[in-house]
Amino acid sequence: MSGILDSTVAWLTARQLFVRRRLVAAAIVSLVPAIIALIFRLTHAAGADSSEFVTELYRDIVLGTLLPLVAVVFGSASFGGEIEDGTIVYLLVKPLPRWRVVLSKYAVSTAATIAVMVPAIVLPWLVMGVGAVGAQRMLGFSAAIVIGAAIYSALFVMLGLTTKRGLVAGLLYVVVVEFVLSRQVQGVRSLSVREFMLTIAGTVAPQAIGITPDNVSLATVWVMGGLALVASLAASIRWLRKFELAERL
Amino acid sequence: MTGPRIELQNASRWYGNVVAVNAVTCELRAGITGLLGPNGAGKSTVLHLMAGLLAPSDGQVLVDGASAAGHPDMYRTLGLVPERESVHPFLTGYEFVRMNARLQRLADPDASARAAIAMVDMAAAQDRVVSTYSKGMRQRIKIAGAIVHRPTILLLDEPFNGMDPRQRLHMIGLLRTMAAEGCVVLISSHILEELDDLATNVLVMVSGRLAASGHFREIRRLMTDRPHTFTLRSSDDRRLAAALIAEPSVFGVDLTNGGPATSGGLSIRTSDRGAFARALPRRARDAGIRVLELRPTDESLESVFSYLVDR
Repeated sequence: MSGILDSTVAWLTARQLFVRRRLVAAAIVSLVPAIIALIFRLTHAAGADSSEFVTELYRDIVLGTLLPLVAVVFGSASFGGEIEDGTIVYLLVKPLPRWRVVLSKYAVSTAATIAVMVPAIVLPWLVMGVGAVGAQRMLGFSAAIVIGAAIYSALFVMLGLTTKRGLVAGLLYVVVVEFVLSRQVQGVRSLSVREFMLTIAGTVAPQAIGITPDNVSLATVWVMGGLALVASLAASIRWLRKFELAERL
Repeated sequence: MTGPRIELQNASRWYGNVVAVNAVTCELRAGITGLLGPNGAGKSTVLHLMAGLLAPSDGQVLVDGASAAGHPDMYRTLGLVPERESVHPFLTGYEFVRMNARLQRLADPDASARAAIAMVDMAAAQDRVVSTYSKGMRQRIKIAGAIVHRPTILLLDEPFNGMDPRQRLHMIGLLRTMAAEGCVVLISSHILEELDDLATNVLVMVSGRLAASGHFREIRRLMTDRPHTFTLRSSDDRRLAAALIAEPSVFGVDLTNGGPATSGGLSIRTSDRGAFARALPRRARDAGIRVLELRPTDESLESVFSYLVDR
């Protein structure tokens, strides 16, 4: 692997993330949108207007719900209890700078999130009929997923590392900021990763119906999204650098 | 000066207002050194200071002449076996050791991993998942992971926990070989006997301080020749007390509550445990007294070690 990431740390993280239990859950999550799409097709007459349904499926289910959940599970598990059970020591007593540990784990967590979300985007596209969804709309949401996964993962890796209950803290963030505040309060939208993703999708697929890219400007997405990502990673690196293995007194 | 070495110069470490290590000065060179002390004496903190996992709050910790904390390159020549048992439970023993080899950037991680596993005699179980290992097996796979890069400094935190005598003997042989090859080996333990025939030099820590340091035999003599106290109950404490005070090995007898003949018992101080153990039955038989109960009162480790501090 390149000089930034460490392949052994990445390998270990992948093993930690894809324990059997989580692998099964991930498989189910990646199939949910396709199953919903299948139900829609079976319950609606052929030729019914599915455009709005597809947008809502992508926007609310895939982007708004499944992606943050998958990202929070992988992100908070990327240090997989290593801090708690002390196994992090095996990474720390190696000729390996700590920032590379953080970046390697972040990269794997992001990649794992995207890997689970790809079938969630592509399968409904196939189920609904390639023409009905439109390749452009599918690609727009895919781009949004990649950007969203990158930002969410940085955030949730940080929460997993710096808080005792990273999963709970991450879920709390998703529910409070993404589900409640950003849909009710206009000002919070420029802090909402969900809104960032809608802007990306709307920019890539401007003709697709139902996406409103005008909530948050593209410039805001790059600046705020980039800031959130870099700040989260910097905080994680700083935390691990200052981390000391305390004796249980 | 050449050769691997660790120096602590007035090194202290505190957590908030708890002092874990208090102004420890020592120097380790090639050979096996024991770090002895009761639980909570600060042994693990000293090891973590040496391994660069903790920065000293005051003083200096030097490994091969350079400050230990914040220098990841140091780990190319240093190995640490942590006290905590946990090893990534989903890895096989072989995967764990090979991971350590790869993180050390060894040229041939597979060959190095196989060699290290053979050294700790774990080849038969190397393909089993770590979560199925016994305590002793985990200790050995942890040691394999720590020596896979052939370090010149090896720090082991309570390595014999959970090992059976045969495994322990094997490990002693391995550590001796490494020491003979010029490696600095530091073994922490809370059991003096564990370091018997192993450590040439011993550092004794009590409550964060270096209480004693020296040759193993010297430390052992200090610890075994100290006064011992026993409590005893018999059919006639008062008469037995009179008989025992005549023994040269006994230098003090107290009647525990001074009551009638068969009362709360005796408290006996002796300078020579062996002589007292031989004298007691003889004296009791001669006086026609039955000894009902005899027990040492101060065998807890803390009292053994604090004797060294008060000395």
